[in-house]
Amino acid sequence: MSHAPRRRTRLLQFAAAASLVIATAGCSGGLGGGGSDSGSDEGPIKFGMLAPFSGSESAFGDYMKNGAQLAVNELNADGGVLGRDLELVVEDDACDATTAVAGANKLVTDGVVASVGGYCSGATLPTLPIFDEAGIPMVIPAANSNELVEQQLPGVFLINGTGTQQALAAVTYSEKIGAKTVAAIDDATAYSADLAASFVEQATDAGLDVAFEATITPGENDYSAVATQLANEQPDLVYWTGYYQEGGLIARQAKDAGFDGVFLVGDGSVDAKFAEIAGKGYTENVVGTFTQTPDMIEGADQWIADYTELAGAAPGPYSTQSYDAVRVMAQAIEDAGSTDFDKVVAGLEGLKDFDTFAGPLTFTDDHTLSGGGFVIVAIDPATGAFVLKDDLQD
Amino acid sequence: MQLIWNGLIVGSFYALVALGYSMVYGIIKLLNFAHGDIYMLGAFVGFFTLSAFGISNETSIPLLLVIMLLSMVTTGLIGVGIERIAYRPLRNSPRLAVLITAIGVSFTLEYGVRQLFGPNPEAFPIRLESSGFDVLGMRITASQLVLVVIAAVLMLVLAHIVERTSQGRAMRAIALDPQGAQLMGVNVNRVIATVFFIGSALAGAAGVMAGAYYGSIDFLMGFIIGLKAFTAAVIGGIGNLYGAMLGGLLLGLLESFGSAWFGGEWRDVFSFAFLILFLTFKPTGLLGARVVERM
Repeated sequence: MSHAPRRRTRLLQFAAAASLVIATAGCSGGLGGGGSDSGSDEGPIKFGMLAPFSGSESAFGDYMKNGAQLAVNELNADGGVLGRDLELVVEDDACDATTAVAGANKLVTDGVVASVGGYCSGATLPTLPIFDEAGIPMVIPAANSNELVEQQLPGVFLINGTGTQQALAAVTYSEKIGAKTVAAIDDATAYSADLAASFVEQATDAGLDVAFEATITPGENDYSAVATQLANEQPDLVYWTGYYQEGGLIARQAKDAGFDGVFLVGDGSVDAKFAEIAGKGYTENVVGTFTQTPDMIEGADQWIADYTELAGAAPGPYSTQSYDAVRVMAQAIEDAGSTDFDKVVAGLEGLKDFDTFAGPLTFTDDHTLSGGGFVIVAIDPATGAFVLKDDLQD
Repeated sequence: MQLIWNGLIVGSFYALVALGYSMVYGIIKLLNFAHGDIYMLGAFVGFFTLSAFGISNETSIPLLLVIMLLSMVTTGLIGVGIERIAYRPLRNSPRLAVLITAIGVSFTLEYGVRQLFGPNPEAFPIRLESSGFDVLGMRITASQLVLVVIAAVLMLVLAHIVERTSQGRAMRAIALDPQGAQLMGVNVNRVIATVFFIGSALAGAAGVMAGAYYGSIDFLMGFIIGLKAFTAAVIGGIGNLYGAMLGGLLLGLLESFGSAWFGGEWRDVFSFAFLILFLTFKPTGLLGARVVERM
């Protein structure tokens, strides 16, 4: 849909939202004829998933795949969707734009009718036009950069809170603990830079003092420059928005350098490996903004048991979101009575208080969640795992 | 002051890895791009051994030294093996063929380790105590001191070997004139194998030290440091041992100041820009005038 507007002013976004849906609906009606015969009416309904199975983020690929597979199995046991079985097709995106584009093209030629993947925003972004042109709606379970919805493609839905929502949780928490000065560190990836920028913007609006913003290069082990900066500026709270490997190192090196404020991390760093990498005695001040995981949700015991039986390992970050992505998409197709792009998009937009792990789900006009569902987690010193600290509900 | 200290710490890692680069280049004119991955292998050998004994979260320096020696021997032997399998059959081939082989070896090591240990970063089981104290406005931790001392000792031992032993003399002779050295009865293959052993052992030691200092290892950790060590070797004058040490420390300092002035994301831009500058204006490096003679 090359004619879709790429400009991103707020005004345009609101003004164009309604007309865009109509305009593109007309367009993809014509396209849909070409696009949707890749998904034939015979055989299983294929859901595609791009997730990292190699590279630095590869741990998350299996968490996502198994979560999605569990939902597929359950739906098939209940008779499938539109009387047909579901089938999950996964491709590796390696958290890398080039690999992701190749994977997306492969999914399109494999005849998937819906996409339920997307972990790294930087890798997911270039796949949007591919799925869009093929008439394939997307429910993105993990990637949550604002850039994804700012493309204003009609078939793109996020069921993980956006960077703005996550940053808001970070600001809310900063205010709650009485922080006056804050700092932000990102790793220059789309997700991380977006989250850090959004945090700085909202923190400034909330009247907090932003001591500094820094960017590091992932993959280097030595972050003494930023650690020294933290020690010199001594902000009350620093928000690290990258992934756990660098996060653990920075937390450690910052403390060694003499920084003793709160080390808040984004959801990409929330992993038990964080504590292992930071090491003993380096995690007291570490907290994170995170969407709830099964172990934080009451009454998820049965789900965890099912997952563990299927995967042979405990669920991890984004297992529930991937599980929910499949169910949300399946429900929309069931409601639409067809796998036609426009009807499925209308089905997704029409979902009302659909029951998910993150609470009742309704999509907003820009296809994000009406509620962010972010909570604050902290590291349990005994196990090194992140556990619920504050649900930010009051 | 803090910047200088930070730079020296990183610089000593670069210097240890750069030594191997420089020695191999000095003697057979090969840019061994797999050298950074030997560093990575060193860290993983240490990780594997410690995990096999079920050790985790220790802070003992003697244990670190034992593991380091073990990793040095292992990576040294692997280095010799690589030379025997991948480089020796190509010794009379065009330089480009060997260079490409080195890149192939690099990927083989990286993805081989990935197959064995998985793609995720692992936490290194030994950690050095890092309670800090302030000296002259610098914050120094005990673990940093240990690292710098170990690195210095290793470099002194190497300098001794090259300057004072017959093996060292043979190395210098081959660097000067391989055919001539052979005619004089030097066993060229054995000396080259020794060079690979020593260079790889130093890289392995640096890998274990990095594991113990930073605490996180992964299969791609050798890539960037390999390039940085190459840069350090060029800055110091590739082929020159003291140049490699000097270049390593200098590059560490440059990066430390560069990232303080421009921000951490500019660090690699800054250091590789220096590589380009050096290659353009002084390709022989700082101590490079006597490049061949000093090997």
